[in-house]
Amino acid sequence: MFKNNLHRINEWPAERLGLRKFNFKLIARITGTLLMYFACSMVIPLLVSLYYKDGAQFSFIVSGMVILLLGMLLRNIVGRNVRYDLKEIESYWITFIIWLVVPMCGTVPYLVTGAIGTVTDAVFESFSGFTTTGSSIVALPEELPLSLLVYRSFTQWVGGIGLLLFVVAILRKLGIGAGQLYEAEFSGARHRKLHPHLSKSVTRMWTLYTLITLAMVGLLYWVGEVRFGDAICLALSTVSTGGFAPDNGGMAMLTDGGLVIVTVFMMLSGISLVRLYQLFTFRWTHLRHDQELHCYLAILFSAVALCVVAFCSVGNGFKESLQYSLFHVASTMSSTGFYVAKPAHWSFFVSAITFLLILLGASAGSTGGGIKIWRVIAVVKYMGNYFTNMLHPNAVTCVKINGQVVETDYINKIFAFVFLYMAFIVGGAFVLTLCGCTIPNSICMAAANVSNLGPSPLINNLGGSLDYAMLPNLAKWTLTVLMLAGRLELFALIAVFSPAYWKRRI
Amino acid sequence: MNGIKYILRFIGIMLMVEGGVMLTCLIPAFHFHDGTWSQITVSGLFTFCLGMLLEVSFHRAPRFADKRMAYLLVGLMWCVLSLFGTLPYLTTGVVHSFADALFESTSGISSTGASIFSAVEWIPSSVLLWRSMTQWFGGFGIVLLVLALVPSLGINKYTLYTAEASGADNTSKQTTSMATTVGHTLGIYVLLTLLFIYLLWKNGMHVWDAVNITFTAISSGGFSIYNNSIEGLTLVQQYILAGAMLLSGVNFALMYNFVTFRWDRLRNKFDQLLCYLCIYLVAAIFVVLALRFEMDYSWRESLRCGIVQTISVQTTTGLLAADTSQWWVPITFLFVALSLCGGMAGSTTGGLKAMRVLILSRNVRKILRDRLHPRSVSPVRLNGHPVSDNIITNVMVIFLIFVAVIFVGIMLLMLCGINATESIGAAIACVSGYGPGLGISGGFGCYAGFTIMAKIICTFLMLMGRLECLTLLLLFMPSFWRKG
Repeated sequence: MFKNNLHRINEWPAERLGLRKFNFKLIARITGTLLMYFACSMVIPLLVSLYYKDGAQFSFIVSGMVILLLGMLLRNIVGRNVRYDLKEIESYWITFIIWLVVPMCGTVPYLVTGAIGTVTDAVFESFSGFTTTGSSIVALPEELPLSLLVYRSFTQWVGGIGLLLFVVAILRKLGIGAGQLYEAEFSGARHRKLHPHLSKSVTRMWTLYTLITLAMVGLLYWVGEVRFGDAICLALSTVSTGGFAPDNGGMAMLTDGGLVIVTVFMMLSGISLVRLYQLFTFRWTHLRHDQELHCYLAILFSAVALCVVAFCSVGNGFKESLQYSLFHVASTMSSTGFYVAKPAHWSFFVSAITFLLILLGASAGSTGGGIKIWRVIAVVKYMGNYFTNMLHPNAVTCVKINGQVVETDYINKIFAFVFLYMAFIVGGAFVLTLCGCTIPNSICMAAANVSNLGPSPLINNLGGSLDYAMLPNLAKWTLTVLMLAGRLELFALIAVFSPAYWKRRI
Repeated sequence: MNGIKYILRFIGIMLMVEGGVMLTCLIPAFHFHDGTWSQITVSGLFTFCLGMLLEVSFHRAPRFADKRMAYLLVGLMWCVLSLFGTLPYLTTGVVHSFADALFESTSGISSTGASIFSAVEWIPSSVLLWRSMTQWFGGFGIVLLVLALVPSLGINKYTLYTAEASGADNTSKQTTSMATTVGHTLGIYVLLTLLFIYLLWKNGMHVWDAVNITFTAISSGGFSIYNNSIEGLTLVQQYILAGAMLLSGVNFALMYNFVTFRWDRLRNKFDQLLCYLCIYLVAAIFVVLALRFEMDYSWRESLRCGIVQTISVQTTTGLLAADTSQWWVPITFLFVALSLCGGMAGSTTGGLKAMRVLILSRNVRKILRDRLHPRSVSPVRLNGHPVSDNIITNVMVIFLIFVAVIFVGIMLLMLCGINATESIGAAIACVSGYGPGLGISGGFGCYAGFTIMAKIICTFLMLMGRLECLTLLLLFMPSFWRKG
């Protein structure tokens, strides 16, 4: 009896409120460690700053120190005497906290350099970076110090592969929760490990990711003849499908060769990292039978073809149309969000295709956003079966992708995901209309931000502005939530707020 | 081939009914002396005789029990009915182009309420009655009507019923005999109509006006016989109409059980009812407050507009309490979302229906619970009973197809040169069955400004929405036409 009571006192107040008891110390420790690494990465913009002498070096030193201190506080003081056990259910909480705290700390350099004046704007920019969205409130990026631009793109690069993979890679002690974390980060990615050992497969991913980025920097610098700093920015933002461009002139610093490089890398980064790994290690048998890859390429190139036809039919030249369509479709489908100067005549049909591509998004397991091709294949196949069953109610059907059966339970999850996706777009768009946007514009803006696309010429063509600085604060916060929701693939975000999560018993 | 003969016979019967209905429009033609009696007689008799011809020639066609034929029958029937419904418009010369007449006729039969007339008061009364009557018959589901009237058709009626109402609401079938169920529903429908005609007449409306307006309100159609829809009516009349619309969004089986004191059965649909009413309440409160504080209406006006207009939108009726096209954008957006939501399943409203919205959102909760507690068993429940997986996936598929159809509709309308806002408004208004869109087609505007191609697309979307997309889409599947 007495023992029972003591037990209850220990669990207060979580017990009294009927809340779950979490291993908060571990969460603090992981977050703190991550922040310390993040602080160390300030070296990169610092070096750029010193090299180009843009005068931002002290800001980066200061921000680095601030974040480092915060990280040490969390890691060594709050997270003292930590138990290293992670319940499955806590992984959602970790995901949420990390995705909240790290981008929040990411606002420090913006505020310290004074490049962005208000907290709302800095938060918007930082979240837009870490979620690889690329919506920006900076109207003229070329006026910012180059080091800050590199920092901006670097946040995208870190966010692109997922902060949690970082966690999995560095905290080997994590044990049972790691697989769950991996799932939480790449929720479309079932059975997609590169190596039976999780931390090894994560290391491989990081290596591949870094190598692709370096390759792109090199190509842009030597073949594309871009300034070194710009090349770094572009590469970091492209490989992560982020979309922060170092200038506002629609890629004016790129030659034709540079444009081709960016286009190809955007297309590549819409492909699953696992498939890319197989591609570069010459394991091509896997690629030949991958329906998702086929589908991705088929959609990509048929969309390009349709866009070219649409542009030519309204009176643009073929070469111009082809170049623009390739860039535009690759940018939209991989949810990167770069844009170049538009052809003279715009076609409504391209707008419609663009909207569809925004929703579809890239392959599962890539850094891109959207509903993901894999899910779309499953849904379309299921609907085909459904029609068959309407006529032949006794027919036994199943959905197979790459020869593997997808269970009905999983299909149901996908359906629910798509429904939530629509709900987020509609809900977000409603709040945006409250802020004075027109209906088509707010729908597109909400969709583009949930899909982590960011700026899209579509919004421009509907009479809206790509300059998010003009929006009222409410709209900025709404878009921030939408970006985060899209990056966490919705469920991981709303799971934390659902009553089922907090109830001890269901 | 036998199937086709049987379908033709069935269509013949439908045409006879339609012709008969057309002939009832002679009453106002004679009473108001609007000079259209000859044209109405010709159209009515032509339709009736053609139907009779089909019925007589295929009278001995054997029955079939093929699902495929049932879907084909339902799909074809709505097209044929809309086609012949154009006759009164064309013969009286009210509408000159066929596309316009088809648009108006389909809008009536599918109880959508999208109109190509910017003003209606000049139209002869017989044609006005025809407009309202198409909605009244279409709203009820004219197929069900025939099922009730001709009990000996011997066709698998439940198959037909699901083809028209897409399955999800199996609980509406409450007696063993399909015909009885339909009979009960029809009884409630007629009673409601009579009740509201009486109420409106009691409150100072002319019987002729009351009949027309009630026909379109109860069927959640939305054609009005006044230029400014129902804005000019007295306050009491408008609130009565709001009541009519509110009831038209309630499941008819529920109302039957209520009226016949089988209150223990009300529990079967309590969740849906609650969901329907809650959505309405929340939306109405938002609209009233927005009108009062954002648009500076007086309290009296904002209450009137908020209460009447919101129910008109949610039940996808489309009667207008004010010119909504100039309202604050968030209200407009809310209306678009509301019209997609719709009333309860088993009512005359369009849209997704409250039941599906409920299942969709509860399914999300279930998925969350499953992810957080992988070993728990937590089915989606409706009215305390677990919903089977089949129904959930059915709802999901319908939802996705709805979205897809709307998206394709918007895309096609934009290709016809209509701007983004207007195409979004028109496509959603047509698929959900609300009627007035956004921009030129919204408020007291009309669809006359659309190109012929755009009108045909809208016509198709209206039929699509009325049959909840699946039935018509199935007809376009290659597997449908494959043998065996």
